[in-house]
Amino acid sequence: MDKIGLYLGCLIPTEQYAYEMALREVLPDLGIELVDVEGVACCGAPLRHINLSLTMYLSARNMAIFEKEGLDILAPCPYCHQALSEAKHVMENNPALKAKINSNLETEGLTYKGTIKHYHVLDLLHDVIGIDNIKEHVEEPLDANIAAHYGCHLIRPNDIPRPDDSENPQKLETLLKTIGAKSDYYKEKLDCCGAHIMVNESESALTKTGQKLQAVEEQGFDALTTLCPWGHRMFDAKQEDAAKVVGGSIDVPVLYYLQLLGIAMGKDQNTLGLTLNLSPTDKLSFIEEEI
Amino acid sequence: MSIIDLTSMAEPEGEQQDKINEILKTLKEDIPNDCYQCGKCTSGCEAFILLELEPHKVMALSKSGFIDELLNSDVIWTCVTCLKCKERCPQDLAPVDVIFALKNIAVASGKQIDTGISNMLQSVLGSGYIQQPKEVVDKDNKAVTRDSLGLPSLPAPKEIQKLQQVLMKAATETLG
Ligand code: SF4
Ligand code: SF4
Repeated sequence: MDKIGLYLGCLIPTEQYAYEMALREVLPDLGIELVDVEGVACCGAPLRHINLSLTMYLSARNMAIFEKEGLDILAPCPYCHQALSEAKHVMENNPALKAKINSNLETEGLTYKGTIKHYHVLDLLHDVIGIDNIKEHVEEPLDANIAAHYGCHLIRPNDIPRPDDSENPQKLETLLKTIGAKSDYYKEKLDCCGAHIMVNESESALTKTGQKLQAVEEQGFDALTTLCPWGHRMFDAKQEDAAKVVGGSIDVPVLYYLQLLGIAMGKDQNTLGLTLNLSPTDKLSFIEEEI
Repeated sequence: MSIIDLTSMAEPEGEQQDKINEILKTLKEDIPNDCYQCGKCTSGCEAFILLELEPHKVMALSKSGFIDELLNSDVIWTCVTCLKCKERCPQDLAPVDVIFALKNIAVASGKQIDTGISNMLQSVLGSGYIQQPKEVVDKDNKAVTRDSLGLPSLPAPKEIQKLQQVLMKAATETLG
């Protein structure tokens, strides 16, 4: 694979800019040409609380647009990735529903056939680009013990294809080792970040965020890494708020895996959006002081 | 068609009511029959300790017909959608999907929902996205935008009215 259509969804391109910067900077060096595609919109996942048909339509619509361009999809948001996977799965198994969705897609001049694939950053790096290839690009191995956070929607539910195992995912740890880091097991690894109830139950949401960060801190990790813009927003931008809710101070650097990879590849740190991380990343030895 | 706030629909009538009844019937008939109330879903539920969500009770209550009670309760809005209940149920049931169905029915029957959630719908109907690109602050408290960071502009639906129209239609259709 060399070309892939970039599908950012809502949260990454409207506020989680560091993720976007890092992926635009790092992936081309690993042989992946990212193509921006016009006309796409929300994946529909956030509207699932309101109406499942909206989710199905929007996911199908986005896939139909990429299909028209003849491009496979890179969906770096696990929430989007899961919505696309589910819509694809449901339509594959329910031709009547597929026909119904297609008759609505016609209004927008679109058809969904189901001929393209979609990837998340995790499987793109681990399974497509490959560990050996990434290893060859590492110039400055990172000396740190980094806790892995996958994101619930990236690994569940297992009745549809997901990029890693639902109960014992390991690809992110492998990727961390590939860039020289250590990634110890911690029992809170699969705990939820709380993001999905941030709009209506913010205190409980922040409690979940704070509890996971405290666990990471207590177990002596140097940092936490994420693959999800929703989780990243909670652990990074909301870290101070979470600390207030759970009591005490929390001081955990939080970085997107692609930012860590970029650093290890010796990239100019300015290009990786590191000034946008609000958690205390500067306490890490490999983060340049003045960027 | 102008933007209709699905969430403020008055008492459902006619077709809408039929649709709700149909979903309720399927919900009641299909799902909780096989649930043997083992409680495994609740034991791993991410919203159990903090918010007292007990997915096994949601299963039992919807089977016994206490659907109105569930629809009127905030508890269905506390699910963090971690999907662990669906993953771990020994009977291959999905309490999370029952909870989603209950939320969908609550919305369709005009129950008041959190504005944070209805705002996302308004935003998608108006622009295709749950929010517009924001100005964010960096470590030094400097405000930055997509533009100042050198990121390309956000792709948008070419004809937003068409998308709106088809979403309004899809919202009234049952899946299946
Ligand atoms: S885990 Fe499954 S069978 Fe057990 S109580 Fe929950 S829904 Fe019922
Ligand atoms: S998906 Fe919801 S109901 Fe199921 S375990 Fe997670 S929080 Fe609980």
